Amino acid sequence: MSLPKLARLPSARLLTSVLPHHQLLLPPLSPLTIPCRTKIQQDYRRPGQPRENKYPLNFNFSKGIEGIKKHFTLMKDEFFGRWLGPEGKPLIEHLLEQNLVIWEFRGPESLEQWTVSSDQEIGGQSEAHLKMGRNDNTCFLHGKLSSTIPRDGETRYSGYCNMRSKIPKASFDRKKHYDWSSFNTLHLRVRGDGRPWMINIATETYFSHQKDDIYTYFLYTRGGPYWQEVKIPFSKFFLSHRGRIQDSQHPIWLDKVNTIGFTLGDKADGHFQLEVDFVAVSKDYAHTEEFAYEMYERNPKKDRQ
Amino acid sequence: MKCARCLLQLQGLRLQGLRLQGLQLQGLQLQGLQGQSARSAAQHGALLQSSSQPHMLRNTQHQVIRRFHRSPINDKNQPIPAEFIDEDDNKKDKSLVIHDDLFEQVARETKTKATFNKVMEVFIKQDVRRRGHVEFIYAALQKMPEFGVERDLAVYNKLLDVFPKEVFVPRNFIQIMFNHYPRQQECGVQLLEQMEGYGIMPNVDTKVLLIQIFGVKGHPVRKYQRILYWFPKFKHTNPYPIPKNLPEDPVDLARFSLARIADDRDAKVTVYQLPCTDITESGEEITLPHVVGIQSPSQMELLAQHNPNRPVFVEGPFPLWLRDKCVYYYVLRADPVPPEEKVEEPYDPERSLAYPLQLDLDLDRDLGDEESFDVEDLDEGAVFAMCMTSQGDQAVLNQWVSGLQQNNPILGWVPTLFRLEQGPRELQGAHKTKSDHQHRPDPQTQREEEEDEVSVEEEPRRSQEMKQ
Repeated sequence: MSLPKLARLPSARLLTSVLPHHQLLLPPLSPLTIPCRTKIQQDYRRPGQPRENKYPLNFNFSKGIEGIKKHFTLMKDEFFGRWLGPEGKPLIEHLLEQNLVIWEFRGPESLEQWTVSSDQEIGGQSEAHLKMGRNDNTCFLHGKLSSTIPRDGETRYSGYCNMRSKIPKASFDRKKHYDWSSFNTLHLRVRGDGRPWMINIATETYFSHQKDDIYTYFLYTRGGPYWQEVKIPFSKFFLSHRGRIQDSQHPIWLDKVNTIGFTLGDKADGHFQLEVDFVAVSKDYAHTEEFAYEMYERNPKKDRQ
Repeated sequence: MKCARCLLQLQGLRLQGLRLQGLQLQGLQLQGLQGQSARSAAQHGALLQSSSQPHMLRNTQHQVIRRFHRSPINDKNQPIPAEFIDEDDNKKDKSLVIHDDLFEQVARETKTKATFNKVMEVFIKQDVRRRGHVEFIYAALQKMPEFGVERDLAVYNKLLDVFPKEVFVPRNFIQIMFNHYPRQQECGVQLLEQMEGYGIMPNVDTKVLLIQIFGVKGHPVRKYQRILYWFPKFKHTNPYPIPKNLPEDPVDLARFSLARIADDRDAKVTVYQLPCTDITESGEEITLPHVVGIQSPSQMELLAQHNPNRPVFVEGPFPLWLRDKCVYYYVLRADPVPPEEKVEEPYDPERSLAYPLQLDLDLDRDLGDEESFDVEDLDEGAVFAMCMTSQGDQAVLNQWVSGLQQNNPILGWVPTLFRLEQGPRELQGAHKTKSDHQHRPDPQTQREEEEDEVSVEEEPRRSQEMKQ
């Protein structure tokens, strides 16, 4: 039994990214436009709002040709990549590699892999923008948080912003997953302004109830002009669903990771900024912890005798 | 079963009482008197001022005797006991019944913890059955920040005390299954959630109260258990912790934040100017802002090695957030050295006598031992010093740079350029410059303009040097 109202509302304490949906087949945007979720209505649908037409008819010959070229090239790469080894790399590299850089912000094309959203989806007044940093070498997420609650009678908390990577796509827009099973640490190089962020990793799930299952941990920035190297082992990530930490915890399964995101939801109104240099995973041989939280049954059923 | 019947009787009486109240109201309004609300306010005021027992007539079975058959004309003469004054009646024309009335009355006085507690006591003493306690608690939770008690655990415990005890405890497994008294449970959970939102850890009093009110198998106790489980786990996860009570004095705050961003324990904080307010002869007030700077020995070394032909930049203000407070700092930095000018200095063997810093061995690392990331190294210019000041204009920052000059004589002949801009800023590179006071964004004319500004900048600074 559960109190239905509570499940619907995002928590102030653990605000994470709001419901992601599959990235749909949309016409490609120009490289300097950062895809913004507020413009693309289809991505976040507020519960209760009518669903929009998922596949609007728009025929464009040149874009169609481009699409065919792109998908067939990808398919060809995949086909021939398999002869090299798993994920297009030789097997020995895949088995032994210790550090792998997943996202590196060099050039404006790298920003297309990320989506920025803020609480304007639910009617709030925070803003968030993503652009390239100095010398096109880093990404710069900045904006303004405002925790004025939208007056719709059901929202209780507000004031968050989020930057989330898009789900990797194989040829013909099939979903592809990251396989990080040979790594155990997340390594980031960031430069923040002292605010505490949260890192969310979403994995591939089977049941629809698990759709918003996200593994979270905190990213504390120091602030200042110097870069900060953050190493978070995957054993520290705890399970949360729609911003609420769950009772039954288990370690994250790294073989089918979909997205990673950065969320800011500290209740300090004002401007914020975060620069990210790269996001990488690594294998730390010194780290032997499997999971940082206890996994015993929280609500055991008492034996009635 | 007798108590149930009593409850029903009292409810009937209560409804009748309410209806009579309504008639009285209408009667008063017909007579053109708007005194009902004023009177109720006065009564409440009297209650708030005196903490004596409100007048109540009770019979031997502890039932309140209500007066019937009262004409509206005589109302002025008869005092109305507190029982009868129900703020719901005042808002009969409004659709929502809120209990802000009590808080609004207190709002005319100073809003402190004592007045907040008083309001709660009034409510508790008003009615043994605590009618409308759920709305009252929601209103109180909303008003807490205005009274400044949102981080006070004792106030939350007192608020939890408003719930009637033992009424909502489920007595069998069916009641447990079916969310016994869901509104009250949700209210309790919301109270705990507000505590969680402010980061307040509940204590054993909270637990005892929750168990008394909701029983062990309800949602509020579950939430309390979750708070008690997860809070200690995340309390010390911040590698750069900020104390709960930040220093009020701007100089101390600047000291703390500069030590935080310097990332070097050898860095030394110097106060170049303390804040003071001077009154000149003409009677004008001049406030001098505080100027606090920080520099570490490695930064001093880097500055000493800096090529004097290249300028150094004073950039800012950059934001630094400490909990909910934003302070701004300025940075003295230089552009990255182009590769042709980089000088590789050999390691000084005397720096570390325990082990050699450089080995000339020809060992290859295996694929599995590759510890560095395959990323392009970001070459940003070196940062030489940081400072914090309340007034970030060029004159004040000039003061800072001259203060730095005492320890770094190279600043005397290196051109210093100011790039000051409000808004979200990143450390700028050599090529891209946004609108700043000195530069045009055209990189071709940059060189010429630098030389122009060089002469302008150097002169005032040289004169200061001579004075010293």
